[in-house]
Amino acid sequence: MNHLSSETFRENAKAALADTQLRGALKNATSLFGERRKQAAASLPNWEALRSQARAIKDEALSQLDRYLEEFVRNAESRGAKIHWARDSAEANAIICRLASDYNARVIVKSKSMTTEETHLNQALEAAGMQVVETDLGEYIIQLADEPPSHIIAPAIHKTRGQIAELFTAELGMPPTDDIGQLTGTARTTLRNRFATADLGISGVNFAIAETGTIVIIENEGNIRLTTSLPRVHIAVMGIEKVIPRFADLDVFLKLLPRSGTGQQLTTYQSFITGTKRNAADEGPDEVHILLLDNGRSRMLAHPVTRQSLACIRCGACLNACPVYQQVGGHAYGSVYPGPIGAVITPQLMGIQKTSQLPYASSLCGACREVCPVKIDIPRLLLHLRAEISPRKGSLAERLAFKFWAKVMTSPALYRMSAVAGRVVQRFVPISRAWTSGRDLRPIESKSFHELWTNE
Amino acid sequence: MSSEARQVILDSIRAHLAASPSYDVEPQIFADERESDPPASVNIGGLFKQNLESVAGHCIITTDATDVLRQIITDLGVQRIAVSDAPELAEFGVVPGANEIFSFDVGITTAQAAIAETGTVVLDSSCERNRLVSVVPPVHIAIVAASRICATLADALAILQSGKELSPAITFITGPSRTADIELTLTIGVHGPQELYVIIDESS
Amino acid sequence: MKVSIFVTCLVDQLWTSIGVSSVEVLRRVGCEVEFDQRQTCCAQPAFNTGYLKEAREVAERFIKIYEESDAEVIVSPSGSCTAMVRHYPQLFADDPQWLPRAKAIAARTHELSSFLIRVLKIEDVGASWTGRLTWHDACHGLRDLNLKDEPRTLIRNVRGAEFVELEHADACCGFGGTFSVKYPEISVAILDQKIDAIERAGVEAVVSGDASCLIQIGGRLSRQGSKVRVMHLAELLSQRSDG
Repeated sequence: MNHLSSETFRENAKAALADTQLRGALKNATSLFGERRKQAAASLPNWEALRSQARAIKDEALSQLDRYLEEFVRNAESRGAKIHWARDSAEANAIICRLASDYNARVIVKSKSMTTEETHLNQALEAAGMQVVETDLGEYIIQLADEPPSHIIAPAIHKTRGQIAELFTAELGMPPTDDIGQLTGTARTTLRNRFATADLGISGVNFAIAETGTIVIIENEGNIRLTTSLPRVHIAVMGIEKVIPRFADLDVFLKLLPRSGTGQQLTTYQSFITGTKRNAADEGPDEVHILLLDNGRSRMLAHPVTRQSLACIRCGACLNACPVYQQVGGHAYGSVYPGPIGAVITPQLMGIQKTSQLPYASSLCGACREVCPVKIDIPRLLLHLRAEISPRKGSLAERLAFKFWAKVMTSPALYRMSAVAGRVVQRFVPISRAWTSGRDLRPIESKSFHELWTNE
Repeated sequence: MSSEARQVILDSIRAHLAASPSYDVEPQIFADERESDPPASVNIGGLFKQNLESVAGHCIITTDATDVLRQIITDLGVQRIAVSDAPELAEFGVVPGANEIFSFDVGITTAQAAIAETGTVVLDSSCERNRLVSVVPPVHIAIVAASRICATLADALAILQSGKELSPAITFITGPSRTADIELTLTIGVHGPQELYVIIDESS
Repeated sequence: MKVSIFVTCLVDQLWTSIGVSSVEVLRRVGCEVEFDQRQTCCAQPAFNTGYLKEAREVAERFIKIYEESDAEVIVSPSGSCTAMVRHYPQLFADDPQWLPRAKAIAARTHELSSFLIRVLKIEDVGASWTGRLTWHDACHGLRDLNLKDEPRTLIRNVRGAEFVELEHADACCGFGGTFSVKYPEISVAILDQKIDAIERAGVEAVVSGDASCLIQIGGRLSRQGSKVRVMHLAELLSQRSDG
């Protein structure tokens, strides 16, 4: 299937708006997630203090990111983990493909990792002749459908059970059913066979603890536990921004992330992995590899406004709260990171050339900022990006229009004339179809307030 | 190649941090300001049970853990029972090799700690061979001493860190496995166990 | 108290009765109202679209005009314009000459309902209007200026008005300035959620504190032939039983 591009956001959005099934799915999902998050946040009287604390910890980590990364690496290596650094997606994929080939990995199981979606790891592994199967139910569904994820934490949220059932019947030969329990059971059975024979497990990382060299991965399904303990090799992939200073810091994030993401008090499983097992006979992989990915993240450190992008803990709360995302869903953004956070990090990671529409696809309502557990000021970030893009990439007509607008607004004479001109124009020229196709336009007053006051 | 990438990345981080204008970071709120612990009069075991049951886990508080365990096994009507290497579990089943782990109906382990405020059991793989037995079989039964239940998650993290270095693999388990990936409808039992029983042993 | 009113360019050109009502209400509660004829715009359109140079030019003019006023406060019947002025320090953060001036003007500028309740401590302006109405929380007023209780308190004291809380009153109407014409289909899709909630509320009027939201909401209501009218808070508060 053709994956949509950020370059065609406008067209993507229009198509999404015409898809009633998608809009229904989005409405249910985002309102349910939103309600659950709200209740979960309300259940903690110190919610606001926790948000401030989490942001402070992230600010501390990011302001000395090099030091904390080095501490993390030192500690992880001293416990037997092997560390790899990748400057960009291509390098990350090459390292993982090489490892997979070195270990003769025939069956590769993978748990959900947005970072590996970002690098398009699965495509690289497949191009190198290796089979990799996603084990998170939502990711498994979109892998079968050959689609990108449409939500950061619920990748298949755009699909109805009927669509999933058809997919399973077509791809897995499952007898037709509409029952969600049976659909889940089918996925469980199919994937258990892979788990049983997998020789390599690839996972993401939620938090990397500098103090101890520990990686922390959270989930509900159990596929991460299986991915990281059954195969003899485990590769964990993380963006460099995942590191936090201390083990004790986890308390704050484990209170905020599940509540913000799904409204749960705590997700079912947290895996705390520190290096490799102590004895060969112990359970668990023989080798643990951790790959640290930059891919544009270090650049974001250069300004306080952009640096906060790296505080994101990938909860997805901003997506559910965003009126734009609620209407068009994740695919329209053409990026593995959709919604408000996607609109600000996609241009920064991928460059503004092909992503320049995204920062403008927002009404700046601020709902995202309100729900963000680490208090990222996304509207401020959007404005920052617009201020970078508009003067350079704005259309000539728009740039001239604002220059003219500034002249009018700083000259009383011009301003008075523009009021008169506006009345004439509106009378004889059909004003912007963009407005009038859906809404009536208020007529310009025959007398402006200025003129009324003069007559007083 | 990776050491070159390491240097490039660290240099990039340093350069961009150095180039950044300074700004007011929000004032630090200190780590020991957190929500108050449950009052001493609150029954820790009772709180644990309440929280575990709210996520569809089963919790039995008893002074005769062995008896309760036997009863659960009988009620489940299962034959193939896997156990961890905890000596007290030896009579109930076999310690499986890695190749056999998929052939069992029930996995039984102890737990090294538990957390009352969330209904969580803590499994430390360096103390017990519990990693696969607790996740592969469709039913997991965990026995934890009442004295090992701590009030908060923060307490548990502190306990794990006290003493020697952190264990290579620690797992927090809060209820049976679940997903809501299809139409946000909750389904219990995905890849991890479909049933979780926690027996709180008050005997010691 | 002497107040210098900033009516906003939108009110000046498209909805003068908001300005007229605001002046009336302010006078009724005992303020002397001054209107500086040189006023134009707060610079929000340029700021929000990323044209900071042009935004600064217009903001500098705003600052200069109001510095010359001896009024204690500048009051505006717009949450978004007031929020814009509160952002002037951010706009001039790197300009040591303008930054203190921006801060001073930002500190003196208030949105109308905020001025009435928080500064004058007046909750009842003696208004009356009979009918069933609801309130839409304009985003900037709500999230930048924390205006949630203030308008509701003022409305609840309007004699004869039956106030109904709108479902998702705090959901965006979809205007977002240039967003409304850059992404009109999305803007209208968001708007329709608001319209649905308004229809379900069974009200005669929707009230809000920002003309931009009212133009967006009103534009769709009238296109759909709805009988529901849109009203600015100032217009509601200026209503009297004898008027």
